[in-house]
Amino acid sequence: MIKPMSFLYVPVIALVVLLGATASTAAPSADSPDQVTIDRLASLFAAVSFDHAAHVEIAGDCATCHHHTTGDGAGTGRCGRCHAQSPKTAEVACGSCHQVDPFSAAALERKADDRYQYHVDKPGLKAAYHWNCLGCHEQSGGPTGCGDCHPRTPAGDAFYRAGAYAPKTAAAPAH
Amino acid sequence: MKSMIKQGVQPVVSHCRDEGDGRRPWSLLDKVLLGLTPRQYLEQAIRNPFNWILGAIFAVGLPLIAYRFLFGLSAVTHSSYDYPWGLFLAFGLFAMVPLSASGFMLGTTVEIFGRHDFAPIERLALLNGLLGYLFAVIYLLVDLGQPWRLPYPMVVAFGPAAVLFLVAWHVATYLSVQVAEVSVSFFEFMGWAGGKRFIRRIAVGLTVAGIILSTLHQGALGALFTYAPGKVHPLWYSAAFQWIHFFCSAIPGGLCMVIAVSTVVKKTMAWRCDGTFLDNLDRCTIGLAKGASMGLVTYLTIKLIGVAHDNEWVYLTTGWGAWFLFELAVGVVLPLALFAWAIHHQRVGLVRLAAFITIFGVVLNRINTALIAFNWQLYREIPHIFEVLICLTIFAIYVVVYRFILYRLPILFTWKAVESEVPEAVAETVRPVRAGGSVPAASAVYRAID
Amino acid sequence: MSGISRRRFLAASLAGCAATTLCGTQKALAAGSFTGYPEGMGVLVDMTRCIGCRSCEAACNREQNLPAPAKPFDDLSVFDETFHGGTQKRRPDENAYTVVNRYEPPGGKPVYRKVQCNHCNEPACLSSCFVNAYTKTQEGAVVYNSKICVGCRNCMIACPFNIPGYSYSSAFDPVVKKCIFCHETRLKNGRPPACVEICPQQALTFGKRRELIKIAHQRIHNEPGRYVDHLYGEKELGGTSWMYLSSAPFEQVGFDVAVQNEPIIANVKDFLSTVPMVLAIWPAMFTGFHLLAKRRGGHGHDDDHGGDHAASHGEEGGQS
Repeated sequence: MIKPMSFLYVPVIALVVLLGATASTAAPSADSPDQVTIDRLASLFAAVSFDHAAHVEIAGDCATCHHHTTGDGAGTGRCGRCHAQSPKTAEVACGSCHQVDPFSAAALERKADDRYQYHVDKPGLKAAYHWNCLGCHEQSGGPTGCGDCHPRTPAGDAFYRAGAYAPKTAAAPAH
Repeated sequence: MKSMIKQGVQPVVSHCRDEGDGRRPWSLLDKVLLGLTPRQYLEQAIRNPFNWILGAIFAVGLPLIAYRFLFGLSAVTHSSYDYPWGLFLAFGLFAMVPLSASGFMLGTTVEIFGRHDFAPIERLALLNGLLGYLFAVIYLLVDLGQPWRLPYPMVVAFGPAAVLFLVAWHVATYLSVQVAEVSVSFFEFMGWAGGKRFIRRIAVGLTVAGIILSTLHQGALGALFTYAPGKVHPLWYSAAFQWIHFFCSAIPGGLCMVIAVSTVVKKTMAWRCDGTFLDNLDRCTIGLAKGASMGLVTYLTIKLIGVAHDNEWVYLTTGWGAWFLFELAVGVVLPLALFAWAIHHQRVGLVRLAAFITIFGVVLNRINTALIAFNWQLYREIPHIFEVLICLTIFAIYVVVYRFILYRLPILFTWKAVESEVPEAVAETVRPVRAGGSVPAASAVYRAID
Repeated sequence: MSGISRRRFLAASLAGCAATTLCGTQKALAAGSFTGYPEGMGVLVDMTRCIGCRSCEAACNREQNLPAPAKPFDDLSVFDETFHGGTQKRRPDENAYTVVNRYEPPGGKPVYRKVQCNHCNEPACLSSCFVNAYTKTQEGAVVYNSKICVGCRNCMIACPFNIPGYSYSSAFDPVVKKCIFCHETRLKNGRPPACVEICPQQALTFGKRRELIKIAHQRIHNEPGRYVDHLYGEKELGGTSWMYLSSAPFEQVGFDVAVQNEPIIANVKDFLSTVPMVLAIWPAMFTGFHLLAKRRGGHGHDDDHGGDHAASHGEEGGQS
């Protein structure tokens, strides 16, 4: 049983990420980063230090996380119909496809112009992270609590009215 | 007051004291004090045990009303988000308004259909209508979040597609119409013959306006619940007929309220009634009961049609169905049977009992629709004790105002015009009776009863 | 018919016509059906994605400057709170425009349902408001003007989702409190509401309502095992700007599935239509009754109790 509480993930969390992470082929290549820090805009949560090297070991296959962008196939399923033979792309980092701000006016306009309609429901960067990480962690017993990856900053405590900012008296809400 | 009369005090029935040849006009203060000296007035007021009961209610209730306005609705209600309309509206608005349908009913009977045999009770019915509406508005003011904005739908912002917009406009207009209708008594009391003549001239117009406005807003109060199709229990809800159900039940409700009030009046202030009123009361009561019976039987029929129309028979076997059947059996069928038997056997006492039961039935229906069977899939809301007390207090104020007016204005008695004093009024007020004979010209003769 | 009564009859008819004209305008707004602004925005709530973190509640609280909550926003014990004898879960109120509730449908993972104003295409609150305090904006939000609200709370009666709250505790400025789609601060500038922006799981998808409907059906089509084949809010009550996808049958996760597909105003139109008819027909009909009653009996009018317009009666007698 998962404690939902533990999924307190960030909002504005840092997009960024993996900006440095340029591609790799089937095996981790030299330009694959060992450590990725996800910290931009992390005002509510402390920066996440992502051990890319360790996860490469665990995942075994780049496509597990990177879909077709590393050039080693998109697996089965809907993506595979088009991308099974796709070559490695110039940018492999999550943030190069998954937008930081998927619902901005500009992003919505781009989606409306998407002739193929295949990518109109593509998650934003934050969701891409969380789906990817949580999906595996839940199955593999990895950490799933919010604080496990990114502890809250004081600003985060204030935002969630928790910690030092928790309500003094727990008055029952009137209904 | 009765004992005062025994001591030889005469209540005011005209502009002048009747002291043999010395005709001294009553001052306004005399009229207000019923012809008593302030000391006498106070004495009789203190002697009346009912005033002590009222005093006790006010002692608790008036501070509570102040408390509500100083600290907000949450101070006196449960502040329910699921039941935004509590007892103030369920009882005060939704039940008071149908009980006040008497004004337009009797107005129509007498002014439009020319049934002047009901004239002796017409003024009581008009007053009952006016006060019922007035206090429905007062209940509303207590309930509104920002009562000082009550005129907003008239002057500031309009939501003309809303049923409540109709209710607001029609109740406001109808209140004015009723004030005009009842003002005749006031003009007589004050001796302003011109005002009375003017109202008389537009009486038919006023009455017709009253019918229109009553039809629409009695119905509109029902239509308000068609906004909440999933919330009101299907047995009390009918998208197609809700407004007719409300309108139709208002007819026996209003008529029975007149019977009930006249019963109370006869029992408690017979000294204030004149012969015309008392002699005609039993006959009028039977007549009103006939009207109420027609209303009740129609109402029963359309309620059942409502059930059939939406195919709600299956609900009748549930607990809600039992409650629904109880409401109909006790509130409609029982009084209907009593009326039938009592009218046939001319048993006025039983008619009066049936009238009280009918009122109970109408009130129960409104409270069921607005409160008990509302949110039937959620939970039951039990009103806050303060809410109940405030309701009771406002009702007590209603009774006091009602009594104050009945004591003074010529509602239950005929104002005795004095030729020498108000000559211009003579043409109107002292015309000989031409037909019916039910209103003797000298009916103002005071009868000291008991 | 004598001159006087004819004149009076005409006057009554004219009054009726005038009244009808006045109230004719009342009908205009009620006529026709409105299915939403074509460019209106909406939010697709995918309950299969929600993990119950309550970040949306925190974001809403901050964005709308709402009072401090009773419990921290990371306190998940609120999911166990029940009210009114265990029959009710949390609901939006004067202190919270949105709440997340947990449901445990039989044989499945817990499902989290975010509750807030659904921003109906044809809102019941709006159509029930007698001072027009509500507006459905072109962007799709249902917003509220507290400056003209009288506080009758008919909107709370009418809302089929039990959304609006009321600040009962305020004595001098109580107002309706409900989600306004962050209209002032965000929506009208083309930005998504705060709850959408903070959601870590993108359980909330912001976009044009008509696009969201396509996306929702695409999701159901792509993963039929994941979703119940229904988009709640696409048709319900004339359509809502916020719509829901669920893995469990909607009735098991707190939705009222018995609601009608017509907007609430449809229930009221029947009555509103009778209004001009009554206004038009009653004056003539009852004035007619009056004339008939008077002439038939030929009996006079006594002067006092109930006697009407004695003076004009005399005049009439003289003329006829």
